[in-house]
Amino acid sequence: MTSEASPRVDASEDLPPASLILSPRDSGRLRESFDLETSATLQGELLDFSAWSEILTTYGRTMRVAVALTDSQGQILGKCHNAQPVWQLVHDAARSWGSGCPFCLTTHVPCTAVAEALKTGGAVMVRDQAGLTHVAVPLLLGKLRLGAIIAGQVFDRYPDPLLLRRVAKEFGVSAQRLWELAREQRPVSDAILQASGDLLCALGNAFLRQRYGAILEAKLAETNGRFRLLVEGVRDHALFTMDPTGRVTSWNGGAERLLGYAEAEIVGQNFSCIFTREDIQNHVPEKQLNQALEEGRAENEGWRVRGNRNRFWANVNITAVENAGLARGFAIIVHDVTEQRKIATVLEEARQERECLQEKLISHVSHELRTPLTAIYLFTTNLLDGVFGDLTPAQHEHLTFALDNVKQLKSMVGDLLDITRVETHKLTVDPQHLSLAKLIDDVLSTCLTNAAVKNITLRSDVAPGIPFIWADPARVRQILINLIDNGIKFASAGGNVTVATRPAENESFLCLSVSDTGCGISRENREIVFDRLSQVRSTAEASRTGLGLGLFISRELVSLHGGRIWVESELGHGSIFCFTLPVFSLAKLCAHVLTAPNLEAGCVVLIAVEVAAVEGAVQADLLLEIRKVLERCIRPGLDVLLPSMSDAQPVGTFFIVACTDDKGFEVIASRLVRELQNFDSASKLKPVISSTTLLLAPGPFGEEQIADVAARVEQLVQAHLLGKERRKWLKRKF
Amino acid sequence: MAEKKILIIDDDQHLLLALTARLKAKDYRVICAADAISAITVARREVPDLVILDLGLPAGDGFRVLERMRDLTDLVAIPVIVLSARDPADNKKRALDAGAVAFFQKPPDNHEFLSAIRHALGETVALSTFLRT
Repeated sequence: MTSEASPRVDASEDLPPASLILSPRDSGRLRESFDLETSATLQGELLDFSAWSEILTTYGRTMRVAVALTDSQGQILGKCHNAQPVWQLVHDAARSWGSGCPFCLTTHVPCTAVAEALKTGGAVMVRDQAGLTHVAVPLLLGKLRLGAIIAGQVFDRYPDPLLLRRVAKEFGVSAQRLWELAREQRPVSDAILQASGDLLCALGNAFLRQRYGAILEAKLAETNGRFRLLVEGVRDHALFTMDPTGRVTSWNGGAERLLGYAEAEIVGQNFSCIFTREDIQNHVPEKQLNQALEEGRAENEGWRVRGNRNRFWANVNITAVENAGLARGFAIIVHDVTEQRKIATVLEEARQERECLQEKLISHVSHELRTPLTAIYLFTTNLLDGVFGDLTPAQHEHLTFALDNVKQLKSMVGDLLDITRVETHKLTVDPQHLSLAKLIDDVLSTCLTNAAVKNITLRSDVAPGIPFIWADPARVRQILINLIDNGIKFASAGGNVTVATRPAENESFLCLSVSDTGCGISRENREIVFDRLSQVRSTAEASRTGLGLGLFISRELVSLHGGRIWVESELGHGSIFCFTLPVFSLAKLCAHVLTAPNLEAGCVVLIAVEVAAVEGAVQADLLLEIRKVLERCIRPGLDVLLPSMSDAQPVGTFFIVACTDDKGFEVIASRLVRELQNFDSASKLKPVISSTTLLLAPGPFGEEQIADVAARVEQLVQAHLLGKERRKWLKRKF
Repeated sequence: MAEKKILIIDDDQHLLLALTARLKAKDYRVICAADAISAITVARREVPDLVILDLGLPAGDGFRVLERMRDLTDLVAIPVIVLSARDPADNKKRALDAGAVAFFQKPPDNHEFLSAIRHALGETVALSTFLRT
């Protein structure tokens, strides 16, 4: 048996041969949407013989050859043949072909035609010993070698009787009969055989590709149908598509149900019809499409309108559909979330109601507690203050304890109220110029009784010359008392609690610390001590007093001042609670009057009011009264009455920064004098009012000038208090 | 100087008892009223020098009493100190705006409260109380 690569058929010198024109190798251009190599099902479908039999039969009849379809291994998938006598005779005689080639009139040598054809990619012609010829053509799809078609069992020349006899003997048929049948067959020339092989090759591959296309189409249609079913089946979401201009191109059943338009009436319309009139006027539809174009998608919630003009709260998802950088349109999903929104609103209302109720409850409780507390307080203090006569030392002592408990109750009731304020954001602080040293001394003396009970020493380690702070004195007091009481609670008997100042990270803040010699706080508890209602349980400390709100409220108060609070501690080594408060700044205090419009009046002056009184020092209470009188004289927004800038002895000098002109100063001065005279009918105060100019208008004005003015005010005030440079002041006596 | 007359308007009998004792010890004359209506009647009859007013009262709250006092020429000049268990955050400004001279939350600090009473009675205007001789 011989096999040879197909010789070229030169039908014409000028034209490329048919085999080239129809070459299956061109199928490389075929787009492979499916992974053919792994899709055995698809390969089976492609080579389904029932589909091939018609075309192969037609070919066989026309060309008077037998035709078979094989897979890539050469296994026959199906065959059809015309009534070829030789073929018929041999095949009727053969019992089984096994894996052999039915086209070869031999049972023992495997036919290599299929393998050869798949390897070369072209038609391969094989001639057997009897002079019978067959052609194998490959079926190729892209790079994939799918199988082959074999056609043949024709003589390419007049048969050789000797060879025929050998075949007849091999198959056990009559040599005479074989010869007679063979002689009736007309031989086909090599060239024609070759051309018909090429034709078969082209035909087979064309059919294969057609089949491939048909299968893909069927699959696509199936997927499309499934997708359409899915889209249509979505009932609670409206799904629709639009062209780039916002006109609806498709509309699912969910959209019909949700938005109330039938597909027929909405397709082609602009999707803005589902928006409210206000939204359309505000160009919301266009804005959303633009956002989707820019960001790929846009999600939003809002009112949309159904066909029957009913509104519903919608969650809308717009996705821009692009192809090769060109906007092809939009896909939109609309979901009715009115119910969810209703639920959320109801939940929010419930939360607010609960909060309101809680606030009412707590303020009611605190109110109701205060009434009996007041009675107890008044009765106790009446007795202690001797309203009903002198007490024995024991009576006095016991009543003092009662009073301490009343005070403790009072502060707890206050804490309760503060907690509600924190939750309703009503907790406020009223910052003012504040001297810490005094306040700390005051607080320590308040806490003394408590500390004495446990034999705990209270110490103050405040650095001299600490700056004034800008804070609410009552609240700072509250924070310090909370921290000190806390320290006393945790310090073991005989220990001490120290209030100290330490440098803050930031110059505009002052850092205060309250340290105790108690049991300390573990790392995990350090995180939670400032949380609400946290009371760290420790074995060493069995007794607990208070509500566990002190640190929580302290943290809120410190942060309302703009500072922060933290704790440094180690188990067994005591704790240090630190917090920061803003430092007083003259510039900040003056900033609100030192404005460009105020300066247009003329100038900024510093006015000093001295009431350095009669003989001896002026009492602090009187100074407070005089301050109140002066507060009534200043014009809010134009003048500032400076806080007492000295920490030492009370001084009878007050300073006012005023934005005014010369005449305006006269007006203020006479007003000050009048009010002071009203207050002081006996004319004992003998006020001296003097002024000095700080800044003349017009001029550049900004933060720098404010800082300058503040610095000069500070300097002048200090100098004035020290009795220096008084010459520069314009003095008026009354 | 004649004894100053102070009217306490509060519905808590114990508070009235305790505060009366305290103020009488300071040589003030004390009269009491326990509801908003009798408060005005008593005030018009007695014309006190100072009124100490609770806000939560039967028959109309303390603000009604304040308003009524500001409407009546014989009562308009009488200083009123509000002493209430209510939250000062919500009530202090309102009370001062309505004409009260001071607001104290219960329980008040005795020292501050008594000095406010003195001040309201005009006793602090006498500089001699401040100035050392």
